[in-house]
Amino acid sequence: MAKSPPQSGRPPIQQLQTVADLLDTPALARLYAHILQHGPVTVSDLIDELDIPQGTAYDYVQNLENAGLVERTRDQRPYEYAAESIALTLSTDGETQTITPALIAAVARRDQDEDIDVYIERHGLDGLAVALEYAYEYIDGTVNHRIAARELDLSPLEAEIILQALEPVATEYADDVA
Amino acid sequence: MTTVYIADTGVLVRCGGPNKDKFQRLRRALRQAGVALRVPQRVYEELGGDPAANEYPSGNIPYSDGFEEGWIVVADELDHTNPLVSTVMDEARRFIANETDRDQDITEKADTALVGLAAEVLGTGQADHVVLLTTDKPAGRAAETLPPQHGFSDRIEFRYVSVEYLETISQRISITQPRGDDR
Repeated sequence: MAKSPPQSGRPPIQQLQTVADLLDTPALARLYAHILQHGPVTVSDLIDELDIPQGTAYDYVQNLENAGLVERTRDQRPYEYAAESIALTLSTDGETQTITPALIAAVARRDQDEDIDVYIERHGLDGLAVALEYAYEYIDGTVNHRIAARELDLSPLEAEIILQALEPVATEYADDVA
Repeated sequence: MTTVYIADTGVLVRCGGPNKDKFQRLRRALRQAGVALRVPQRVYEELGGDPAANEYPSGNIPYSDGFEEGWIVVADELDHTNPLVSTVMDEARRFIANETDRDQDITEKADTALVGLAAEVLGTGQADHVVLLTTDKPAGRAAETLPPQHGFSDRIEFRYVSVEYLETISQRISITQPRGDDR
């Protein structure tokens, strides 16, 4: 009888599907980002903190657990969950982009921060990922909106708007990058 | 003691957003203190230069109210024949290129307008103190570093305009702008 392979906990294609869901669903992204920064947490913590309906919260946690992005850290009720950091690098025709927890956190803000939402509409998630790299430099003081504008082919005003919008994310995740 | 407040694009972007609370708070603070923000021509052009930015809540800034009411003023064109101004701006360009680890070609003359204006205000005696309100840290550091090398020590303050800074701006402006009736 064939033995099933040992579970790695992070099946890559299932993880890719879940990451695609994260990028597409700000509430799911918010939940993942919250577990990553504040875990271990219980589902009722998440419901209280994030104002997500109970059924949705359980479904989301289940999806993330199946994809190996969160794991149960307490096996007695109430269960507690912690998140695994992701770094999924995608390459297409010489273009490479890495999906990081910070990018997920930036996407998570689009529901509350319309500046980020408009930026994604105009420049896509790849554009957001690049802008996030500049946001780290912006908080370090190694770039300003004027140079960013020239290098990203934006107006200085648009560059300043997105850099300010991403500043909280870049500040929160700066240590992960350094 | 006279203080001139020079403001950058980022100050007004920080005031943007769907509700105009932050903008009104800045407006109130400046009007109460009798202070006007001075913006270089370059900043004025940045604020109005991109119709696409109106799609963003933070790009839709009612800054023209500030010009009409007089609490934001556009500075005259910088006097590049003033050797202090041109020297400090050249130095600022090198300084910013160095801080940002970029080639000098990526920094434009206009990037140094804030520093140039600060030097001009001090050099021509329009004020004996300048507060530079900006989110452009490289330019802010240039402003703190360069004019002091030309004899203007302790005459420029660079204030990074964070969310927190803006929230407390009324106290900050009344502190840095002492009134005659203060003890």
